[in-house]
Amino acid sequence: MEGDAEERQIQARFVTKLKPQFKAPPPAITIPANLTRLGLSTIVNSLLKAGNPDWENEPFDFLIDGELVRMSLEQFLLAKGISAEKILEIEYIKAVVSRRQEEPSLHDDWVSAVDGSCPWFILTGCYDGLGRVWKTAGLCTHILEGHSDAITSVSIISPVGEDSVTVATGSKDQTLRLWKFHTEEPEKSPAKIRAFKILRGHNASVQSVAAETSGSMICSGSWDCTINLWRTNESETEGDLVSVKKRKVKNKAEESQLEGEAMSTLVGHTQRVSSVVWPERETMYSASWDHSIRHWDVETGKDSMKIFCGKALNCVHVGGEGSALIAAGGSDPILRIWDPRKPGTSAPIYQFSSHTSWISGCKWHDKSWFHLLSASYDGKVMLWDLRTAWPLSVIESHEDKVLCADWWKGDSVVSGGVDCKLCISSDIGVV
Amino acid sequence: MGVGKDKNLGNLGKQKSKNTIIKEETISSQSNKEKVNNSEEPEHHQEEEEEEIASDSESDYQELSDYEDEFYESSGGSESGESNSSGDEGSIDTDNGDRMDNEDQSNDSESDRVAEESDSSEDEVAPRNTIGDVPLKWYEDEKHIGYDITGKKITKKERQDKLESFLASADDSENWRKIYDEYNDEVVELTKEEIKVIRRLAYSDWFKWDAKHPLSNAPEPKRRFTPSKWEAKMVVKYVRAIRKGLLKFDKPKEEPRFHLLWGDDSGSAEKAAHLSYIPAPKPKLPGHEESYNSLEYIPTQEEINSYQLMDEEDRPKFIPKRYTSLRSIPAYENAVKDSFERCLDLYLCPRVRKKRINIDPKSLKPKLPSRKDLKPYPVTCYLEYKGHNGAVMSISTEASGQWIASGSTDGTVRVWEVETGRCLKIWEFSEAVQCVAWSPLHELPILAISVGQDVIVLNTGLGNEEVQKKVKELLHVEMSILADDSGNKSSSLSWVRDEKHEGIKLRHFRTVSAVEWHRKGDYFCTVMPADILPLLLFNCNLSVLIHQLSKKLTQRLPFKLRGLPVSSVFHPTRSVFFVATKKNVRVYDLLKHKLIKKLETGLREVSSIAVHPAGDNVIVGSKEGKLCWFDMDLSSKPYKILKCHPKDITSVVFHRSYPLFASCSDDCTAYVFMAWFILILIRTLLSFHWKFSVDIQAQMEEE
Repeated sequence: MEGDAEERQIQARFVTKLKPQFKAPPPAITIPANLTRLGLSTIVNSLLKAGNPDWENEPFDFLIDGELVRMSLEQFLLAKGISAEKILEIEYIKAVVSRRQEEPSLHDDWVSAVDGSCPWFILTGCYDGLGRVWKTAGLCTHILEGHSDAITSVSIISPVGEDSVTVATGSKDQTLRLWKFHTEEPEKSPAKIRAFKILRGHNASVQSVAAETSGSMICSGSWDCTINLWRTNESETEGDLVSVKKRKVKNKAEESQLEGEAMSTLVGHTQRVSSVVWPERETMYSASWDHSIRHWDVETGKDSMKIFCGKALNCVHVGGEGSALIAAGGSDPILRIWDPRKPGTSAPIYQFSSHTSWISGCKWHDKSWFHLLSASYDGKVMLWDLRTAWPLSVIESHEDKVLCADWWKGDSVVSGGVDCKLCISSDIGVV
Repeated sequence: MGVGKDKNLGNLGKQKSKNTIIKEETISSQSNKEKVNNSEEPEHHQEEEEEEIASDSESDYQELSDYEDEFYESSGGSESGESNSSGDEGSIDTDNGDRMDNEDQSNDSESDRVAEESDSSEDEVAPRNTIGDVPLKWYEDEKHIGYDITGKKITKKERQDKLESFLASADDSENWRKIYDEYNDEVVELTKEEIKVIRRLAYSDWFKWDAKHPLSNAPEPKRRFTPSKWEAKMVVKYVRAIRKGLLKFDKPKEEPRFHLLWGDDSGSAEKAAHLSYIPAPKPKLPGHEESYNSLEYIPTQEEINSYQLMDEEDRPKFIPKRYTSLRSIPAYENAVKDSFERCLDLYLCPRVRKKRINIDPKSLKPKLPSRKDLKPYPVTCYLEYKGHNGAVMSISTEASGQWIASGSTDGTVRVWEVETGRCLKIWEFSEAVQCVAWSPLHELPILAISVGQDVIVLNTGLGNEEVQKKVKELLHVEMSILADDSGNKSSSLSWVRDEKHEGIKLRHFRTVSAVEWHRKGDYFCTVMPADILPLLLFNCNLSVLIHQLSKKLTQRLPFKLRGLPVSSVFHPTRSVFFVATKKNVRVYDLLKHKLIKKLETGLREVSSIAVHPAGDNVIVGSKEGKLCWFDMDLSSKPYKILKCHPKDITSVVFHRSYPLFASCSDDCTAYVFMAWFILILIRTLLSFHWKFSVDIQAQMEEE
């Protein structure tokens, strides 16, 4: 029997949706059944090498019926109940794995927030109260000065494509600040920038900031259990009075700074609001330490949906299929994903539990339906694919807790942590 | 005019109603007349015959005809009244009145005579025959017709043959008034009055029968004789409907032929239809004991005699006996008594329908959540707050949960950010820090710590500028106050400004072991545990002090403490103060300065105490590793004693919102207990009790 099993062969054809240079010859070949992912990868690489002598080895991942192969082919077919008689169609994709680690960008203190939504730069927030803009790894172009306490959250507001960029930061000094700078300004780096607008209104540390898609408004969650909505416009119409008054009272140092007040306050959470996201114009999601994720209708200010998780939540993000899946992580090592469209249940549809400590951040890939990353206090950033329960890859560039992570430029992961480093893992083969 | 018309109409209406009455009478009289007319035709022949036969009885007949004339007269009057009725009302009235008068007169004249022989036939003269109302056929062939009152046979009289009787009748002018009474076998001659009565009765019969007849003499219309087309249509319609099955006839209800004699009639429908009807409980049916050949134990005669000596209540109700056959069973001697008592019971104790909700008591029990869901308590250690170089003696969380403070034997107090484990602030002291306590107010981020003999109130520097301003004001101490205090009160401590740490230093005279805040954040109490020797020297009241932050005042407890205080805690909602001494926990009312309760722990040495956020449950940890759980509403004895730790319990604490409490010990373990179920039950059960006791307290205060 054993000998029989060793000799078992499978007819397989390799297909792919990748670019033509990755295309393997179409005819089916016979491969041994006990091959694992590595074996399959070598086969494909050798096939490609046969076609193209300059081919460099490339790790691949393999999909059978829309599921990633994470064991030997034989086991996989047995587990899924797929017949080994037919010609097996194996789709291969580029393995999602970090192929290059950039030099870490050092900060003066813990890196608490990072935003990589703009491909030209990375925005980080730090516990020393400064925001930093990094052009590439190790190249800091701007320093955002002004917060009197640690920055907890950063968000790039203005839509991509303009030369002047607006960003928002939230801090433990209970304020939010809006900053504006030109991306093309590397002459005397790093350039120090002051905020053009200070948003006051929270009674406790601001914990998270999220911008609306159009960039005219931002929302912020705070330790005072509320979510505030703010206008980002630069015009002094609504902030005028305040600014004039303040200017008289305060010293001249802040002569050019506007002050803004919250447009509206969303009340509902009973614990600190640890994370907010604003994926669409009308809808907002927030996660809180009161174990709930709430879906807010921005127009009415009502929470139209609640998901209870049973754990204090640290992060939430919306994305995936139809930009509707909610991923959240919190005070346990499990990354949970809910589908709010699924009726009648509030149980998570996916649970990823490879971390060993609290999850501090999770982000969906903005192009792919399947990929997301999670950062954890165990010092690891993990990349996930919804099609398998195991992490695609683990980035272990940090020595201590990872506090924040984000995608950058579609194929890089930026992460900041307690080791005061901003790590960039690039060349990740996400389609 | 319109109104007048209406009035007239109204009058008319009234008159009409009168009219109808009158009409009825007139109708009756008219119909009578008609009847008379109708019947006269056949009667005429009779009368003619009679006249022929009995021309002699002219006078009598005359009388009758007189009467008839009289009647005609009156009816004629009424007829005229009817003819007038459409025109003039008054004339009717008068006419009617006349008629009534006439009748009255006639009645008057008659009434005398009637009165003389009133009810003569029935009541006064008893019937001769006593056979009663039996068919006379029975006596047809007998010689007697019955029995008189004395029981003698009444023999039949000789019957006149037909010819003789005819002749007699021909001779006798009175014969038409004679009637043969079969019952009594005699000929009765009717008096004039009786005939009158008979006629009257007969008329009234005619009236009833006549009412169907048309009022007018107009010929019957043709339609009365032709078959109705509409009816025919309807019949066809019904026939079709029946054939199609659209019309269905209800089947006659079948009465159940038998009904259960022994069935339970409590639920029978007819009786239940009446809401308030409650069927009487059925008497107990006889069982084996009452059997004539009982298999039960038959008591001996001595036993039966001994029953007699027993009390009425204890005596057995029925003594089984054995008989050889059914025949030899005597009548039950208590039958009447029993049924009487049963009736008495039913009568004197009216049955009342009790509204009772049928609830399964198990469903009232709150469902215990599964242990898997109940995981608010930590399972794994995820975060470590690293930095202290010595043993951490005490930790305290800020009200919002954003920061925790810790005090260590390395002489530092550190404030940590909970979510990341970042150390925000460090204060260094020369001695080991015994206890740290955050102010319960979120607006005032201040810490009270005990270092050796000092209690220091620290400004943590958290919060925005306004908060900081407030805190600085609060923590500002002027030297003058200090001087005053030290001069006036011997017991009061010195409130000194701690320049180094930007706080207030309170110098105690002994090592302070515990600091505890009041819920309003203004007061805090300090406990100085003492050995017995200094305690004898000092006043033991001094070992627990209450400090007021806003006024910078220190008070000692206004009541005498017994025992060595170990720890103290404020009630979370009321002005009640718990002091744990080595053996007991004493509960004081701070407003009334008196002891409310003494909780007897039964422990050797109490080490820590915690009060539930609702204030009704207290847990006490001891140095022998036992936990005592007290319910304040229940008793002064522990509700439960838990022995989990092999070594000293160092601290106990309740969860702020979950039904959990935890204890930690020198044995390097911490236990988390779930107290959900019992807490809820006790709270629901005792909420009434609680209100009650509050009421009583209020009353006592008034008095």
